[in-house]
Amino acid sequence: MEPLLRVEGLSLAFGGVKALDGVSFNARAGAITAMIGPNGAGKTTAINCISGAYRPQAGRVFFAGREVTGLAAHRLARLGLTRTFQNLQVFSQLSVLENVMVGLHAVTHQGFASAILRLPAMRREERAIAEQAMAALEDLGLAAVAHRPAGQLSYGDRKRLELARALAARPQMVLLDEPVAGLNAAETDAMGQALVRARDLGVGLVLVEHDMALVMKISDQVVVLSFGQKIAQGDPLQVQNDPQVLATYLGGRQEPVNGFAAGAGRGPAAGEAAHA
Amino acid sequence: MSGAEQLSQYLISGLTTGAVYALVALGFCLIYNTTHIVNFAQGDFLSLGGLLLYSLLAGAGLALPLAFALTVLGSALVGAALERLALRQARSREVTVLIFITVAASVFLRGVFKEVWGKQALAVPSFSPETPLRLLGATFTPQNLWVVGITLAAIAGLGWFFNRTLTGKAMRAVAINPRAAALMGIDVERMLLYSFALAGGLGGVAGMLITPITTASYTIGVIIGLKGFAAAVLGGYGSFMGAVVGGLGLGLLESLGAGLMSSAYKDVIAFVVLLLVLFLRPQGLLGRGEAARV
Amino acid sequence: MTRGGRIFALQLAALALGVLVMPLLVGNPYYLNVLNVMALMVIVVTGLNLLIGFAGHISLGHAAFFGLGAYISAVLSATYGLDPWLAMLAAALAVAGIALVIGLPTLRLAGNYLVMATLGANLIFTTVLLQLDQVTGGPSGFSGIPPLSLFGQAVVDDQSFYWLVWAAALLGLVVARNLAQSRVGRGLRALKDAPAAAAALGVDVARYKTSIFIISALYAGVAGSLYAHYFGIIAPKSFDIFVSVELVTMCLVGGMGSLWGGFLGAAFLTPLPQVLHVFDEYKDIFYGGVLLVLLIYQPQGLAGLWARLRARRPLETA
Ligand SMILES: Nc1ncnc2c1ncn2[C@@H]1O[C@H](COP(=O)(O)OP(=O)(O)OP(=O)(O)O)[C@@H](O)[C@H]1O
Ligand SMILES: [Mg+2]
Repeated sequence: MEPLLRVEGLSLAFGGVKALDGVSFNARAGAITAMIGPNGAGKTTAINCISGAYRPQAGRVFFAGREVTGLAAHRLARLGLTRTFQNLQVFSQLSVLENVMVGLHAVTHQGFASAILRLPAMRREERAIAEQAMAALEDLGLAAVAHRPAGQLSYGDRKRLELARALAARPQMVLLDEPVAGLNAAETDAMGQALVRARDLGVGLVLVEHDMALVMKISDQVVVLSFGQKIAQGDPLQVQNDPQVLATYLGGRQEPVNGFAAGAGRGPAAGEAAHA
Repeated sequence: MSGAEQLSQYLISGLTTGAVYALVALGFCLIYNTTHIVNFAQGDFLSLGGLLLYSLLAGAGLALPLAFALTVLGSALVGAALERLALRQARSREVTVLIFITVAASVFLRGVFKEVWGKQALAVPSFSPETPLRLLGATFTPQNLWVVGITLAAIAGLGWFFNRTLTGKAMRAVAINPRAAALMGIDVERMLLYSFALAGGLGGVAGMLITPITTASYTIGVIIGLKGFAAAVLGGYGSFMGAVVGGLGLGLLESLGAGLMSSAYKDVIAFVVLLLVLFLRPQGLLGRGEAARV
Repeated sequence: MTRGGRIFALQLAALALGVLVMPLLVGNPYYLNVLNVMALMVIVVTGLNLLIGFAGHISLGHAAFFGLGAYISAVLSATYGLDPWLAMLAAALAVAGIALVIGLPTLRLAGNYLVMATLGANLIFTTVLLQLDQVTGGPSGFSGIPPLSLFGQAVVDDQSFYWLVWAAALLGLVVARNLAQSRVGRGLRALKDAPAAAAALGVDVARYKTSIFIISALYAGVAGSLYAHYFGIIAPKSFDIFVSVELVTMCLVGGMGSLWGGFLGAAFLTPLPQVLHVFDEYKDIFYGGVLLVLLIYQPQGLAGLWARLRARRPLETA
């Protein structure tokens, strides 16, 4: 069966830095595909290229049976592909509820004319949007703060808000850029459960994460990037025992002279610390 | 006059105004690179240069070199004041607000200039006696040479400053990544102050060069400032080479356009070019496209 | 109706009441004239505020859109004998088209290129007005513009124009508020906050920004047409870049991005020159100084001050 997302030979260089160098992988609906790799491996760049934030210099992206390479982000959202951001991008001037209401933008329709004239159809749609957004907030335990400005939320709540916003429109696939970075153990656990619930509802998730425990626990498939290239792929167990993956993750720590610097730059634990 | 003579006439006047646009464009780039804002008061630095020079020469009777140096100093001080007294004090860090602080400063400065120097155009003498020179059939004054010569010297000086001096390198570091620069022990706030002072000084120089040709007045910088902006965009906003190329290119285009078509719409050419560039090649002629990092 | 909706309805009703009783209080037709100009400014600045508040972009060319509305209306009705209402419609269409041409290339770029593009457009506009004197009357202006007529009556005197222009201003406020409280308004506010996230959720950022810019220009264009048909004579000086700066000043003084900011700014600053006679001479220092102080210390303007005094959220979210 054709996978929901198919990425072929994605490449993008920033000046001399090959952030992505011929990366290919698939991600299925109703499954969690983790993408891991040391800091600077190109994970965020991959998400940016797939989601339409960047245009890849080479390679192709197929989503839901059609080629979407270079398609603008808002068009992809309408096809059911959305994302979250590593550096939080909540709409801080909007209320929490309104943030999630924007999450329903891709699946609603009332435009400028009906807004200006305040047509009944528009008001009906607004009510439906608000209800659905509220339900999405309840799903993630944010209903109590629905009317607070999003800028006032704690870091952990903002992370949850981003997920609620991305899932509100029931997309086919969400690209998640480090959803639990900086969260404590309890928050991480809750977020992990929310991800699993979404997957069980049939949403395809691409999970970029440095939290290996979480990745190994909930992923169906793991793709490993290093210096812009895919170095391994398989189920969590296979990847954990892959010699090349071990070398990439552990190699840096064994560096004798400059162990601290190499470890800080490369290790997953250090990655978390940097984002905390 | 033959066609060729006319052409060289246009080229010379185009290069002269182009050099001034380049200086203004450099001022825009300097401030943009360190603060990411467009400084609308850049043109007013130019007005100030001409007006100060007028007062120091005609009013105080100073010798030209001294008046020149004092004017550079004066406009650099006003640039520094804009940073220290206005932008630094702002409660909001929103770019829109910061840009509008420079717009407000521009309006305010213009009001002050009007009170101090009045509304009339003031004649500033040329830097040397106005014996017409001839080259390839074109007639021009020594002031044209001064404009081009001093502009070249200023560009060379900037190049030396940014590549050879510690302060210059520190300013470049701040432009590339302020956070990292601060971690390296660079005093970022001081570098911002320097870039405004430098931009003010450059504007002052541009004003002194052009006002013997155009006369000085409190509004002279408005249009020239905007054209300098157009030149900066044309070259690729933020690129120093681009500013120079864009300035000269715009000056030539304008003078040829006005000469060959109609001089009534001379001022329009720069802005039509600006809109076209934004439409077709927003990264400018020399700039590299860069996506916003998310 | 939501709480915010009720508050707006009350505020609007209060303003409408004020509009109704005002003519009883001012006997002097000169003051009526000031109020009429104020209403025109309320329209323009409310439109400008939509752009600033929603898209986070500033236009320094709104005087040109105001002028385009005025001149196109004038030329079509006076020179070509078109019905003033039709002339006004044609002017609005032209303004929308020109806003599209300016907005399309500049609004998809990061950074405030729109500021310069609009400023450049305003300069071009002034130059064209001065140069095309066969059509526009050049520096001395264009006169003999016929008035609008309503119910078979010409809207010529200050009193009847007062009703027309304040009705238009109130309508402009309602439209602005309707936009704010809608799916598109939410999308616009979102894209101002975090454009990448808004796009990832389906907001067509470039199209939305361009649309709100066009709507904003339309406010100015319509006000310009009203202005031309009211005064009967127009001149380039009323539409130059300095007027654009004044419009933005009104917007910032009133409150950037606040629904009532346009009204407050125009209401506060329009009468000032009439009150302060020495004002004209020191206009630049005054506008520049007020703007500087406000932007540095109170960037949310009068509306923000009001909201802070009442320790409530800014009006836009009310
Ligand atoms: N917009 C950009 N301009 C220049 N270089 C970039 C840009 N975005 C990413 N890079 C570079 O590309 C490389 C890959 O970066 P990317 O952000 O994709 O890494 P990552 O795998 O997401 O790392 P992390 O785990 O730290 O988030 C890095 O060397 C980074 O510095
Ligand atoms: Mg990343």
